[in-house]
Amino acid sequence: MSTSLKIWGTLLFTLLLMCFFILIGSDLDFNYIIPKRLLRLATILLGSICLAVSAVLFQTIVGNRILSPSIMGYESVYLLWQAVLLFMLGAHGLTILSVSGNFAISITIMLFYSWALHFWLLPRCKNNIFMLLLFGLVLTTVITTATQFIQLSISPGEFSIFQGLSYTSFNRSKPETLLYGAFIVAVCLWMGRKTLPILDVMSLGKEQSISLGVDHAKYISLYLALIAVLVAISTSLIGPTGFMGIFIANIAYVLAGSNKHRTVIPIAVTVSLIIFLVAQLFVEHVFNYKTSVSILINLVCGVYFLALIARTRGTT
Amino acid sequence: MITVHNLHKTYGTKPVVTDISLEFPTAGITSLIGPNGAGKSTLLMMIAKLLEPSSGHIALNGQKVNNIKTAEYAHRVATLRQSPGFNLRLTVEELISFGRFPYSRGHLTQEDRDIIEESIEFLELEAIRNAYLDELSGGQRQMAFLAMTVAQKTDILLLDEPLNNLDMKHAVQIMQALRRLCDEQGRTVLLVIHDINFAANYSDHIVALKNGTLKFNGSSEQVITENNLKALYDLDFEVIRNKRGCLCNYFNL
Repeated sequence: MSTSLKIWGTLLFTLLLMCFFILIGSDLDFNYIIPKRLLRLATILLGSICLAVSAVLFQTIVGNRILSPSIMGYESVYLLWQAVLLFMLGAHGLTILSVSGNFAISITIMLFYSWALHFWLLPRCKNNIFMLLLFGLVLTTVITTATQFIQLSISPGEFSIFQGLSYTSFNRSKPETLLYGAFIVAVCLWMGRKTLPILDVMSLGKEQSISLGVDHAKYISLYLALIAVLVAISTSLIGPTGFMGIFIANIAYVLAGSNKHRTVIPIAVTVSLIIFLVAQLFVEHVFNYKTSVSILINLVCGVYFLALIARTRGTT
Repeated sequence: MITVHNLHKTYGTKPVVTDISLEFPTAGITSLIGPNGAGKSTLLMMIAKLLEPSSGHIALNGQKVNNIKTAEYAHRVATLRQSPGFNLRLTVEELISFGRFPYSRGHLTQEDRDIIEESIEFLELEAIRNAYLDELSGGQRQMAFLAMTVAQKTDILLLDEPLNNLDMKHAVQIMQALRRLCDEQGRTVLLVIHDINFAANYSDHIVALKNGTLKFNGSSEQVITENNLKALYDLDFEVIRNKRGCLCNYFNL
């Protein structure tokens, strides 16, 4: 099968899947069901872009394919903030703040966290990205423990709300949060678009890329900032995704059969889109919301990922 | 031409390179030799702008390298480190095209393609040009990396132990290729090398370091003598010269 045929086939399949997602069992109810589903579809689309792009970027700049941005602790900061909100304002605190208010504040907090990591911690690690990763890992643990401490103090009702927030879900977004998110993501992608060949060079490692004339420190900063924005948006939109990025990126590498980011990134976005759509379809129509998207994806993709590693003996 | 002025490098409190000043000759192979921990690689990495000197400076044609932008430096100096534990799925040709990145910034022109072609021919990699790097032997991979560095078309090439882990045949191939680069294209090659016989037979110039200081600096004939090598490595040497070259024997003496 030729490459262009494959691409068009995949796009057609994705489109069909989207239509199926919108129309299945909807009785063509354009007043309630279909608008709701369109909103979910848009959330899935934006979430896929954020997740796939941030995962691939992150793996390239740290030169490791079994890491995802969540190791830096962005998501634990998000959860800590939600726990603090519930603790201080109670269950109706979230309603007072409104979804878009919470969205905006969460993004700001995560960006502030990333800014602190970058400008305060990175120079203290002598600009060594691996030290930063280790600190990120330790911070994640510390923040998660703080979150657990607060969890123990909140009421069972608030706790169940918190649990809901700690899963990936496409039902939380509102049209206005989506719109803001989409706008920011579009700006980020526009800025990052021209630097794709630089990413290819950076995958050769720090020293080789400097030798090939790439201002490594500058681009590490740029990409860390882009990743922070993308992760902040996806986390406040669909919740923590944990290690899903690893599965998605690795599946994309295998399918792409190339390391060119121009190829890998669109494939990763498509893979993520398909996985999310299928998982959501299963959650809605097969399991009737008795399981969550995260559980389903981690279960299926996790097994596939392990099989992939075993088959290629870790060379992927 | 590269000149080094009062160069110092310390890691923490440990001095690695102490007060080195020297001038590397243009067009020809210069080998950096010396025992482990002599500071050879550190010196080379500072010249490559991959390490910052603690004090002193390095100049390229009189211009301090600190003042040359990374992108501009890549047009003039190409560096190859010990080929990394590599797990990218790249073909040989794709790897070599990265050598054109300093010029093309990712969009190859016809000229870039011609130069890539030329580098493939130069190192005789036609047969494996479409092979994936992770499927090659260490020697073939090293040749591919060298081809990338050659395609960068810089006057100066810095190579950190290019013969590491290679069998004799590949080592000879690489050294002959470097020889041709200097003789046919007038390029300057600086390399760190451990095998004293390769250094003695293929280089024009030898710089010997010990404990971070400059010990000997001169033409290959001047530096490779029994007394110098004994002082450098604390080993007895027998240097046998004939018209085919020279052999440094340090076994069973």
